[in-house]
Amino acid sequence: MDLETQIGRVGVLPYVAIGVVSGLFAAMFGIGGGVVIVPLLILITRMPARMAAATSLATLILTSLMGVIRFSGSGHIDWVAAIVIGAPAVVGVLIGIRFQKRLPAEWLILGFGLFVVAIGLKLVFAL
Amino acid sequence: MHLDATTLSLAIACGVAAGLLAGLFGVGGGIIFVPTLVIIFSFHQLDAQATSLAAIIPVALIGAWRQNTENLVYWRGAVIMGVGAAFGVLIGAEFALRLPEATLSRVFGMVLLLVGGEMIISSVRKLKAKRAAAN
Repeated sequence: MDLETQIGRVGVLPYVAIGVVSGLFAAMFGIGGGVVIVPLLILITRMPARMAAATSLATLILTSLMGVIRFSGSGHIDWVAAIVIGAPAVVGVLIGIRFQKRLPAEWLILGFGLFVVAIGLKLVFAL
Repeated sequence: MHLDATTLSLAIACGVAAGLLAGLFGVGGGIIFVPTLVIIFSFHQLDAQATSLAAIIPVALIGAWRQNTENLVYWRGAVIMGVGAAFGVLIGAEFALRLPEATLSRVFGMVLLLVGGEMIISSVRKLKAKRAAAN
């Protein structure tokens, strides 16, 4: 994948649209940042799966920062809890990336598709 | 927040699980963080969502840094999406602070079913084609 030609091929608009939709969902449901970004990058911009996952994480830096700025004033954030779950998750993300390296792209997309469908079922049937 | 050995170890286990998904699939981990905070720590939904966003910051930072060492991050796309997402968060926060979420989350769920279904079908098709080519 030629990084430099990627935007030239699909234009800026799909990235803006994917970003806005992912931010909307992230703020409304607390999920939907990456769950929206990764499949849309793969389906719309045809980005390879591993690159989509990596780029999604980079996008989430801005999404989560903005969310924290917006919600921190109204006292909705418990920082102790955020550290208690966030710190082990940092260890987890490094292990997850290591796993990802060994996984062929088709299996990665299949796994992600099953994951997304599971979340969809949970939301639709309010499980 | 009340912390004892049981809730702490549960929180750590859920944190690691959320991180694993984040690393594998490029999600932030909110799908695990939010229910963990609601169920284990008895958070209100909105507090759980806001706290989850805070917990995602280090995950996204370290994850993106790690992936960048292998040149997998498409930074131009990420910055454009990130700016769009920042606007989306501001609009979404207004809804989150004001509207009941039941209907909206159901619509979101249906979109995910469509998107996930398409991913499953296309990857199975590719795996089949690969197998046919190998034979």
